[in-house]
Amino acid sequence: MVDKLREIINLILVKQGKSELENIDLKDNLKSDIGLDSLDLAELTVRLEEEFGVDVFEDGIVETVEEILTKLSKK
Amino acid sequence: MKLFYSESNFSISYKQLIEDINRDKTYKYINNHNDYYSIFRDLIVSILNNSEIIVIDNDLSLQEVEKLKISENDLSLFIECNFPDIKDLSDLLERLNNSPNWQISLYTSGTTGTPKKITHNFSTITRMVKISKDRNNDVWGFAYNPTHIAGLQVFFQALLNLNHIVRLFQLPIKDIYENIEKFQITNISATPTFYRLIKDPNRKFFSVKRISSGGEKFDTKLFNDLKIIFPNAKILNIYASTEFGTLFASEGENFIVKAEYKNKIKVLNSELYVHHSLLGKISEEYLIDDWYKTGDKVEIIKEEPLTIKILGRESDFVNIGGYKVLTTEVEEIINSIPGVVKSKVYPKKNSVTGNVLACEVEVKDKTLTDFEIFTILSKKIQDYKIPRLIKIVDKIEITKSGKIKRL
Repeated sequence: MVDKLREIINLILVKQGKSELENIDLKDNLKSDIGLDSLDLAELTVRLEEEFGVDVFEDGIVETVEEILTKLSKK
Repeated sequence: MKLFYSESNFSISYKQLIEDINRDKTYKYINNHNDYYSIFRDLIVSILNNSEIIVIDNDLSLQEVEKLKISENDLSLFIECNFPDIKDLSDLLERLNNSPNWQISLYTSGTTGTPKKITHNFSTITRMVKISKDRNNDVWGFAYNPTHIAGLQVFFQALLNLNHIVRLFQLPIKDIYENIEKFQITNISATPTFYRLIKDPNRKFFSVKRISSGGEKFDTKLFNDLKIIFPNAKILNIYASTEFGTLFASEGENFIVKAEYKNKIKVLNSELYVHHSLLGKISEEYLIDDWYKTGDKVEIIKEEPLTIKILGRESDFVNIGGYKVLTTEVEEIINSIPGVVKSKVYPKKNSVTGNVLACEVEVKDKTLTDFEIFTILSKKIQDYKIPRLIKIVDKIEITKSGKIKRL
């Protein structure tokens, strides 16, 4: 699951000319550490929903990688 | 011999048409023939009989027909007529033009909700028909569905000038090219989607002298492409709908509202409203104080004379994190990328920004990737207008009216 999440985040970063994440830390903040903006987060949520069937941002903005994984594992 | 109608391997002259009608004066009340000639023939018979005809698509299922409140029995109803024989072409024309009780009902091809029934009479459906001597030898490339308003308008424009009609709609591209050449087509009226399908920078058709485009948003890129393939053509952009037929025509994106329509057209909250006097017969429930809400967003370019530009359907606007984006405008930019055949941009709901844009792109010979399209777009438009999910597809589906199919 972490790998898939990293893969999707990288896809979002790379197409905008940003560098790829080699590792992903559970405590990483999606905005301040990884550098995603709201459109990136919107794309991330749509892609995650397509992949896992879960809307991770349904109850408000999720801040960290760990929070996403928690949401996804509650499926 | 003046030809009336041709397909790839079939032609019928006006003389044969008259003989055929004189021999068999019946028409199918619910006109849903499979072949175009029978549809056209039955339309003419109903006008000569001065009585009602209903046109529907041939491929509707029984269930879909029921939705139109048409019973299965009605489908096989033939009307026997007893008008006198048609003597010649001028007799035909005179009688067509004298049919005050004739009416035609059709259904809007909208993709949502129940189809709307619209009834026109001879004068409303032929309002924009132009008859003149210099149109005598026009040959019409028929590129619309014959049971929809645009197709009917082309049909009447051609018929009332006794022109030759050649089918182009829903044919393989090579047959379209062949028919334009073989029959020396002079006029084509079609949707932008149709023109995008046939555009080819290596081909030129010199016989075509008039091109009109309607039913979907027209753009400059398409205009320039059409100039290449039809170097001798005057290109006209048309604004029309099933409810009111053709309303505006112009040589560019802006429409000047004619003085006679001045009090029958209004723009409210950037949306175009049309007075009921310009409409065919339509149920009252679709009117607001005598005005019909078109659902088309417009920009006023000039107040005097009123000049407007159609921006798109109200439903083409998507809210992305507080920004309004016009999907057709994004499509226009994607379509201008070399190698793109056509595109469809649509919203995807999400709980962060409300919507993000997604798109399907039909690409020529798989020369472009989603990644490349994204990169090109990021140099051309603002971030929130860029589709975040780009899918390269083999084919973008089109509707029965020849427009891009939208959800």
